This record gives sequence, structure tokens and C-alpha cells, in this order.
Amino acid sequence: MKSTDLVKAIALIVVIVLVFSAAMFGLNFYTGPLIEANNAGAVYGPLLAVMPEGASFNGEAQIYAADGTVPTTLADVPETVTAIYKEANGMGYAVKVATTSQYTKAGSAMEITLGVDAEGKIIKVQIDAYNDTESYDFRAKDPGYLDTYIGKDSALADVGLVAGTTFSSTAFKQGVSDGLNALIANGLIAEGVKGDDQLLAEMIPTVFPGMADPSGNLKAEPIEVDGAVAAYKAVNSSGFAYIVPKGESMVMAVTNASGKCFVYDTEGNEVTVDNPDAVALATAHASANQQDFNAEAQEKFGRMMEGAENMTALELPNFSTVVAAASFDVDGEIYYGFYSKSYGYEDMDVYVIIDAAGAIAKVDAKTVIFEQEYFAFQNPAISSFDANAYKAGLRGLRDAEDGAVAISGATMTTNSMKQSINDAFEVYGGAQLTEPEVSTNE
Amino acid sequence: MNKTNTGMKEAGILLPLGVGFVMASSNDLRAAVGMGVAVLLALFFSAVVISALRKVIPQAAHLPIYILIITGFVSLIQMVMEAHFPGVVNMLGVHLAALSVSAVPYRDAEHVSGVMGEGPSVKTAIETGLLFTLVMAVCAVIREVLGSASIWGVAIPFMQDFRISALSGVFGGYLVLAIVFAVMRKISGKKETEKEDVAA
Repeated sequence: MKSTDLVKAIALIVVIVLVFSAAMFGLNFYTGPLIEANNAGAVYGPLLAVMPEGASFNGEAQIYAADGTVPTTLADVPETVTAIYKEANGMGYAVKVATTSQYTKAGSAMEITLGVDAEGKIIKVQIDAYNDTESYDFRAKDPGYLDTYIGKDSALADVGLVAGTTFSSTAFKQGVSDGLNALIANGLIAEGVKGDDQLLAEMIPTVFPGMADPSGNLKAEPIEVDGAVAAYKAVNSSGFAYIVPKGESMVMAVTNASGKCFVYDTEGNEVTVDNPDAVALATAHASANQQDFNAEAQEKFGRMMEGAENMTALELPNFSTVVAAASFDVDGEIYYGFYSKSYGYEDMDVYVIIDAAGAIAKVDAKTVIFEQEYFAFQNPAISSFDANAYKAGLRGLRDAEDGAVAISGATMTTNSMKQSINDAFEVYGGAQLTEPEVSTNE
Repeated sequence: MNKTNTGMKEAGILLPLGVGFVMASSNDLRAAVGMGVAVLLALFFSAVVISALRKVIPQAAHLPIYILIITGFVSLIQMVMEAHFPGVVNMLGVHLAALSVSAVPYRDAEHVSGVMGEGPSVKTAIETGLLFTLVMAVCAVIREVLGSASIWGVAIPFMQDFRISALSGVFGGYLVLAIVFAVMRKISGKKETEKEDVAA
């Protein structure tokens, strides 16, 4: 390159740099504030979307950050709460929550933004990122579900779950509760008061475990019953729950598949004898609507145990997933059969036969491994699973805690089998059929 | 450079050079139009300045000076887009800034603006930019409608169950791009043949 060209090139480069620098400097006066406002909007946009019109957030809005990037005085904030913002004019708070269910994609979370007014009522709640399995998107199954949270306090009265997406909608509901609890724990809002009907409905999984999955989630559909404030039918048809008024308060009657009825008050006390009206209402409805599983169960027990005779239906003493029980003889030996409808990856139908010594004689299930479970076709442990060998391995067990019950790679089915076997033993013991004899060679 | 090297033929040569940002911006129509406008403006302003300075730019200093000019305009365009279309800038990510080091505007500068007058350079830049925008928009419509069941970010309800999600990814992007290139090549080749027939 000639020296004149070199000088010309350097001069040209300098001029170009200066011109563009000046242009950028000048343009920044125009674009800078707009870009800053855009960035603020990106942060506060989702927050404003859950707050009333006129709400605003300033630079000191964030009062909590889970990652510790903001100095905070808040304590006892649940782990799922990622950030809390205070509205500038005292209109309330916006809370960001990241919650998960067992259907949440690995490494992600369901991201929720929750707007809460100063009195602790939910203004609006929205999902910023779903990240659960798409087929379990409760927004698609019930488009109005998120709106059921509007106006509710921390009691979340009348806010239920979405049938068919129990785990995802439970995670969402829990996330909302966590957001509200973070504010309550720090005295920012008042705690909501639960109504009697809500307290009683939340008690169902405790007093009637057969109406809940192994994780304790209620598996029941609301039904309408004359004279009851609310009523629920177990998804597995194991029974009903009826919430009925009693003076100023309410009580709850539950009936199992045999029609046995117990009544509980809001404290969880069993008050059956004091509430004949509730018992009458519940038993009348249950006797007309309870599905009878005895014939189906006895036919199955007969097929499972060749030569079974003297089949006698047994009354169910408790409120488990067992929907039918029977005693029968085989070659002069007495056996007890239990038909349990527990909740696994899908609804399970498990038949457990226990001998007079209190050990499992035989177990069968309509389906042990559900094809979809944990992408079973990709799971070597499940693709090589031998259902007959598994069922044979359960013989002789005296409870469901033995490792033989576990199925590698199928946690939900394992839990369901455990629930069915435990419930069978519970009915067996509860019915005081025969005092289990412990074998001397064990 | 003769006339046949301008317009579609020039764009046909440049498109494969810009396959990176065409791919990155063609899974959403908004991103495609945003990138198309950015390419058009970058080519236009670069063509104006480079063709005006072509006689004073020393031969040996073409590369740094062209890159400086193109980078300068891309930066200015990015600033304006960040101010007015932040959503599009987010969608484009680093690919908008990377436009300044793309072979597309540099080749346009080296082969057109650096050797031709302002008029033809600007004309070629506009034609190239518009064609880029058109190609990206066509790709984006195909990919967004069939891959994401939406158009301009608005969901198409009846398409939701018929999404071909592979089209939103890299494989689908290349597939659509290859089809669009093939169609362009066919059209471009046909025009060339017609011109040759007329000349004969």
C-alpha cells in the first residue's frame, strides 16, 4: 500500500468512526429512554397484568428475591416463591412463584404471577410458563379455572382441582397458597378464614383415604344432593361424602361401598351418634347410588382360587380403596378376598386374597403396568417386567412394605399396589375376621 | 456487472450466504419481517455511503472500511428497533447484531456498491433487501402456521392438533428453506432461459 493510500485509509476510518459515534451518541438521546422504559416494562409487565388499573411499580418495588439479589426483611418465605413486589400506591403485592408437579419437565417449573390486594384477596393469577406435560394442561381442560381464584383470600374457599389434571392443578393451587402464605407470614396481609364446608372437604382424604390417591390428593367429583351443602362421589366409586348443615355449623357424613356411615364435625371428631339426620341423608342417598361390586369381586375370587365355595360377602368396616370383600373356602381352608380400586398411573383394579394365617395367598390386577407409565417402552426395567412373576412374588407377604411390592421405574404403580395391599390387610384386620397366626418358621 | 447480476439473481447468490439469520428469524413471521426490514435498511444505507465513497476508499482498505460502515448502520438500526420493537429484537437475539459481520451486506458492498454508482447500488440493495424479506416471510409463514399453529403470534385454534413441531426446529427450518431456494432457483433459471431465447 502506498503511503498516501495508508494515510487516506486511516483518515477515512477515523472519520467513519467519528461520524457513527456521533450518530449513535445523538440517537441514544432518543432511543435511550425508550429502551429503558421497555426494559422496565419487561420486568413489570407481568406484574401489572395481575394488578388493578392504575397500579405501578417503581425501582424499589421488589422486596424479596429468592436468589438474594435484593436486600429483604422478609422471613419464612416458602421455597417456591421467587420474588415479591410491593405496588407503589399501596394497592397490594405481586408475587412470583415457581412450582412443580410430578409432570413438570425436568429442569423447569410452572411459573405463576399472583396479584394480591392489601386486604389479602387475589386480584388475578396468571401462568407465565406452564412446563407441565401439555396433555395435563388444566387451562385447556377448564378455561375458567384460573378465574375461580379471583377475589379469594388465603382460605381459597370453593377453589377446587381440575379433574384429569389433579397433579398439575394441585401444584398450581399449592403455588398460589405459597405466595399468599409468604405475605401472611410477614404480616403483609391477613390470613383468610376457612368456612366449615371447606374445612370438612379438606378433611375427606384423612377420614376417607379411599377417596384420595397415595399422595393424599382428593380423588372425588362434586355431586348435587338435596339437603347437603356439598357432596362428593369417589372417582373409584368407593363411597360418598356429604357436607350437611347442623345449626350454625356443618358436619360431614361419609359412606363406604358397604353403606357404612360415619359422621365428623369440623374438628375431626367422630360424631355419628349425635347426627342421625346426617346419617339418614347419607345412607338414603348412598343406598340408591352406591355401585355394588360384590358380584364382580366374588366371580373374580372364584376364578383366582379354583374350587372356591361358600362365597360370603363381608361388610367393609373402614373407608379405604377396598370396594368389596368376601370370605370363601377352598379344600376346607378359609380365605378372604378383597377388591381394591386404588389410584396409580391410571385407576387400578387389584384383587388380594389373604389366607386364614394372614398372609397373601394370591394377588391379581387387571393391569399392573400401564403402557404409558414413565414412557415404559423406553424403560428397560419396565419393558422386561414379568407381571406373572411379580404377582407370584407377592405370595406369603404379610404387609405391603416388602421390597417385592416395588416395581423399578414405576413409582406410581408401586404406590398404588402398596395402597391396595395395605387396604386389604386393613380391612382384614379391621373386620377381625381371624387373628393372624404367625408362622413359627419365619 | 451486468443487469442480470442484480435483483433476484444477486439475491439468489446472497441468500445462501445469509442462511444463518434466515434460519434464525424464519420461525415467526414477526421476526422474519423485523429481520427483513433490518437487512433492507442495512443494505440501503451501506449502499448509499459505500457507493458514494467508492472512489476515495483505497483498494487495500476495502474490508475494514466496509465492515465499519455496515456495523455502524446495523448498530443504529438495532438501537431504533430496540426502542420501538423490543419484542422483535428479543426474538432475533444475537442474530440482529451478527448481521453486521454477515457475508450478505459485505458481498453486496464488495460486488455492487463498491464498483457501481449510487443509483444501481441503491436499486440492487433495495431489490436484495425486499427479496430477503419476502423469502424470510414465506419461510416464516410456512414454519409458523404448520409448525406452531399460529400466525403473527396469534394462535390458529383449528390447527392446534395438527402442528408439525419439527418445522419450528432447525431440521424443519432447513427443509422449508431448501424448498423455497429450489423454487427461487427454478423461477430465476426460467427467466434467464427466456432472456437467452430472446437474445438468440
